[in-house]
Amino acid sequence: MSGGATLAPTPAAPGLRLLLGARLRCLRNVADQTLRTAPLRAALIALFLLAIWTTLFALFDRVFLFLHMFREQSVVVIPYVFHIFFVAMTVLLAFSTAILAYSGLFVRPEPAWLLPSPVGPRSIVAAVFLEAMFFSSWALLLLGLPMMAALGRVEQLPWHFYLTFLGAFAAFIPIPGACGLLAAWAGAMWIPRSARRVYLLATAMALVGALAWWGRLWSHTGRDAEHWLTRFLSELAYLRSALLPSTWVTNAISRSLHARPAEAAFYLFVTAAHAAFLAWLAVGIVARWVQPAFGRAQSAPGRPLRGGGALTRWLTEALFRYLPAPQRCLILKDLRMFVRDPLQWSQLAILFGLLGLYLFYLPTVQPTAFSRPLQALVCFLNYGAVALILSTFTSRFVFPLISLEGRQMWLLGLWPLARRHVLWAKFDFALSVAAAAALVVTGLSIRALELPWMLSLVQVAATLSTCVGLVGLAIGLGARFPTYGEPSGARIAGGLGGTINLIVSMALVLTSLALMGAICFRSAYVLGSLERLDALNGALYLVQMVLGFGAGAGAMRIGVRHFSRAEF
Amino acid sequence: MSIVLERVTKTFDRKVAVERLSLEVRAGEVFAFLGPNGAGKTTTIKLMVGLLLPDEGSVFICGHRMGTDGRAAKAHLGYVPDQPFLYDKLTGREFLEFVANMYGLPRDEAWGRLTRFAERLRLEETLDRLTEGYSHGMKQKVALAAALLHEPRVLIVDEPMVGLDPWAARTVRELFRARANAGGTVFLSTHTLDVAEALADRIAIIHRGRIVAQGTLEELRRLRTEQQRLEDIFLTLTEEEAAVDDGRGRS
Repeated sequence: MSGGATLAPTPAAPGLRLLLGARLRCLRNVADQTLRTAPLRAALIALFLLAIWTTLFALFDRVFLFLHMFREQSVVVIPYVFHIFFVAMTVLLAFSTAILAYSGLFVRPEPAWLLPSPVGPRSIVAAVFLEAMFFSSWALLLLGLPMMAALGRVEQLPWHFYLTFLGAFAAFIPIPGACGLLAAWAGAMWIPRSARRVYLLATAMALVGALAWWGRLWSHTGRDAEHWLTRFLSELAYLRSALLPSTWVTNAISRSLHARPAEAAFYLFVTAAHAAFLAWLAVGIVARWVQPAFGRAQSAPGRPLRGGGALTRWLTEALFRYLPAPQRCLILKDLRMFVRDPLQWSQLAILFGLLGLYLFYLPTVQPTAFSRPLQALVCFLNYGAVALILSTFTSRFVFPLISLEGRQMWLLGLWPLARRHVLWAKFDFALSVAAAAALVVTGLSIRALELPWMLSLVQVAATLSTCVGLVGLAIGLGARFPTYGEPSGARIAGGLGGTINLIVSMALVLTSLALMGAICFRSAYVLGSLERLDALNGALYLVQMVLGFGAGAGAMRIGVRHFSRAEF
Repeated sequence: MSIVLERVTKTFDRKVAVERLSLEVRAGEVFAFLGPNGAGKTTTIKLMVGLLLPDEGSVFICGHRMGTDGRAAKAHLGYVPDQPFLYDKLTGREFLEFVANMYGLPRDEAWGRLTRFAERLRLEETLDRLTEGYSHGMKQKVALAAALLHEPRVLIVDEPMVGLDPWAARTVRELFRARANAGGTVFLSTHTLDVAEALADRIAIIHRGRIVAQGTLEELRRLRTEQQRLEDIFLTLTEEEAAVDDGRGRS
């Protein structure tokens, strides 16, 4: 700057406070920016959150009211509900904190900039840890707070119950968080980058295995419901182990529930003490060895891909033979990017995998055959679950597909191919992936419910039309409201265009659900048969088809028109 | 000596990125570090700033050993990576204030330096916008200002001129020279040979993880008397070294 600049060594600055201050400033700026530039989106987010919380509150309220009717059983069952809830939360929080901490410490550019600065590694790790816990504990807050409010209302509990409940939450979160932080560090330290996908797959398989084993619990041992419940509860006895953090939190809440504040405080203290110790230990260990872990995570060179992508080439040739070669090229590129991005396929696999697992075990839960109304109801609910998962997938991963090509338009733009073919190739690809996953789950649903052929046909066709509608909306609106400069798919999906797509997609899903609900209800209660459609049901079915296919075709038409004239 | 690398070796998965590399950079000089793609430039820089730890050898910054005395060493460092990092959701001014706090600069002094850098680099108009909207050149200028804000004794910059317009490039060259004249050390890794030729007091050329030549421009010219331009010297040296390596590989 100037010739007379001083060169005195600079003192070390305060670390954690400074980093947290920057994060808070970023959050404030995001809030300001959202309110200023996209107030509609902010209002929608608030509205959806309120709707979700209210629905969950109503649901928990009903559950606890139901349990309240059976006073003796509820004494046993309510703690089990909390045991299961907190065990599930332990796994989910550890997993999500691990992913966020790994990204925060070893993937994002921030640590590469901060590590050479005088901010100590302990402050950097602590800031990432707190940030990861903040973002990963949303699920706990989303599910836990309405549960607390419902329980407090039904049991008419005093104010200190709410304090204990909130304290238990706050004390519990760092325990799985610390495990997640250590897992992220260990992953960077000892899992070579080239083998990471293998380990990820192995973990996913282990999770599915564990869930399958858990599903075994739901298989009935006889037709006696009491016998089934006794066995079920005894199988879950290990969840009540005194060594599990979930047990301490559950004990704190249940003691508070039964007006034993001293015992509740004791368990709260046990949880908080363990959380503080584990957090201190995990941050200390990771901070001590963060630099070697960072070096290994950054520097492991990628190995050549085995087979050079032959499988994806074969798949593309087999599935899209009907398309001209240039479009197949584009699809092959998209398929390879999809397969090599675990974020995309893992979300689809986990959501549909869980649904598939539930459907696989569904026939064994009910000792006797499904009644006709129950068949229709479960068929409707399954269709709803599939449609909601599909809309999540298309909004997050399919919508950004066109915007993400903006940076490649120097290449695609020179292709001897009309631009509309680019859009249709994207549509074919996304539809194939979405429909394959959705139809497999729908097939399992039909098998589980032993649906007659007519309702099976309705469910398959409804799923397919919803797929076409949602994929068409995502691609068409993605081309109509693109964000070409943005490299992050998540940000593209969260922009104005993404919000419009989300709203329209949800409207399509809700309308389709209403139509499907009407068909199922009329079949079960008005017609008394799931094997035929009357004129009204046939008309509803036709409207649903037209709605799905029409929404997809209309959005694609808008998208093609806009994309063909777009300048880059 | 401001920067000392003693027989540093770094290996990734059996691939040697840097091999027994020794280097000394004095206070008050601008040092250019050249090499083809994949030669080990960025690995060397990451070793110097403590992002990577050497498998063998040692790195010293202003007499402090990186690794065992890393915190003291880092207090003297300013670093601009090849992809400049800024917090997307902070304005340029907020980011620079954050950096000033990080290095414990008194508020008035930080404000004065920030204002001077903003004027010098013509940042005033954009400094109060979120950095997510900045062009690459603008990000590079803010990152450079951030690295210079605490007037480090050692400034390490990976590809300093990428994305800068000619006016900004000249200003940055002047800033580097001023820093060196004030007794600081500026270590540049670059592909822009003209910058190295015009600005550097000494130059090192790295190829396949080893230093193949170092010295002043005149000393490098004496190595290859028939060539006067740095570009020709660079191309000849790296080509010769590749031929020697290939010969070793065949034998």
